[in-house]
Amino acid sequence: MVSFISESETDDQNHSITEEEDEFIEETIGERLWGLTDMFPEIVQNSISVIATFSMRGGKNVIWFTSKAIWITSTSFMMLVLPVMLEIERVTVEEQQLQQQRQILLGPNAAASGYGPSTQGLGALPSMPGPQPKS
Amino acid sequence: MASAGGQGSPQFPGGLAPPPPAANPSHQSGQQDANAANGSNNTLNNDWVCPGSFEELHKKCKDLMPQPFEGCKLLINKGLSSHFQVNHSIHLSSANNSSYHFGATYVGNKQLSPTEAFPVLVGDMDNNYNLNAQIIHEIVHGLRTKCVIQTQKAVWQMAQLGLDYRGKDFVASVTTANPNIIDESGVVAFHYLQSITRKLCLGAEYLYQYGGGMEGAVLSLGGRYTGKNWIAAATASGMNVNMTYYHIGNESVRAGVDLDVNLRTRESVVSLGYELDVQKANMTVKNSIDSNWTITSVIEKKLLPMPFTLTLSGILNHVSNKCQFGVGFIVG
Repeated sequence: MVSFISESETDDQNHSITEEEDEFIEETIGERLWGLTDMFPEIVQNSISVIATFSMRGGKNVIWFTSKAIWITSTSFMMLVLPVMLEIERVTVEEQQLQQQRQILLGPNAAASGYGPSTQGLGALPSMPGPQPKS
Repeated sequence: MASAGGQGSPQFPGGLAPPPPAANPSHQSGQQDANAANGSNNTLNNDWVCPGSFEELHKKCKDLMPQPFEGCKLLINKGLSSHFQVNHSIHLSSANNSSYHFGATYVGNKQLSPTEAFPVLVGDMDNNYNLNAQIIHEIVHGLRTKCVIQTQKAVWQMAQLGLDYRGKDFVASVTTANPNIIDESGVVAFHYLQSITRKLCLGAEYLYQYGGGMEGAVLSLGGRYTGKNWIAAATASGMNVNMTYYHIGNESVRAGVDLDVNLRTRESVVSLGYELDVQKANMTVKNSIDSNWTITSVIEKKLLPMPFTLTLSGILNHVSNKCQFGVGFIVG
């Protein structure tokens, strides 16, 4: 194993450390990997660093913006639109139920024409439910 | 300031004029719209072409905006006769103190039209002994006076006296607030609104304030143009510019935009408001969105066949993440 000595060290004492000696400069894995970046030229290093920073920041901004937008639109929808929608639906279902009830009681003619007695006259019987002949 | 209450001509929900703004004025706007658009639901008839008085230039649009409240409100209206109506209201709230209001409304014998009668006396008393009272009377044809008094406990807070004359195509009015001849202080306001054509009317307001060594006057100009199913109005003074646009979509949808610019503080607010009148469900919804990132919603639902109305109100501010909700119940 050869330990590399940094060129910038000018301390006389360090010149005594020869390549054969078994003294390692302690390096973590991260520092070793970082050192590998020295193999690329300056420009490549700089541009990759800029791209990486921008995309990190851009990604964070996009996530922040999307979460805010979703929260604002959903709470606004809940306050402004939801009550009207639910209420209209409830009233529609209630009307349909009433119409169904009327249909069961008085026959499909009454349900189709609204409500009230049949138009044939006072003594006429209400129509029976079932298929009616077309008049 | 001189238009506290802002009621030029009182209108009736079912026979009597509404109580002063302390109580719930929710019945008023629906009835006024019905009166104003009684010709056809999608266009505006002559009532609102001109003139309605200078203070009411922006009324149509401002009425669209919801009036939110906080806490729990119960309002009981009781008509004692065709002339006299009494209301009790309890307001439980954590933001302001809870209060109980007692109000009375008396409408007199001089009947101009099915919806207007004079004199009108409206009073409202608080559990903190605050009194709010108004008298509106038509002395001779076209000449109306209005007197408003507010007291806080036993102290006079505001007294306002106004006189307005409605001619064939113009309205001129004089109003004074807190006139104090001894101390030489007070506020006087002159309004004049003239209809130029059937659709366009222009007017001016002159406000003069004197007292405590301070003297100041403000002149503002305003106008309103009525289209087939829309109204645009603008008022401008040295301090304030206010422009509104009101549009009737169909008989259940009305919308309005309001721009308010304060030239002193250089702040402007745009609010978009709309009203949905869902007849099928007996429900009226008024919503508004602000440029301050605030949304306001007020829902009123009539619980037929009893004369009950349930009111729900909510304000939500997205920037500060604060919200306020209110529940109200109106009987009668």
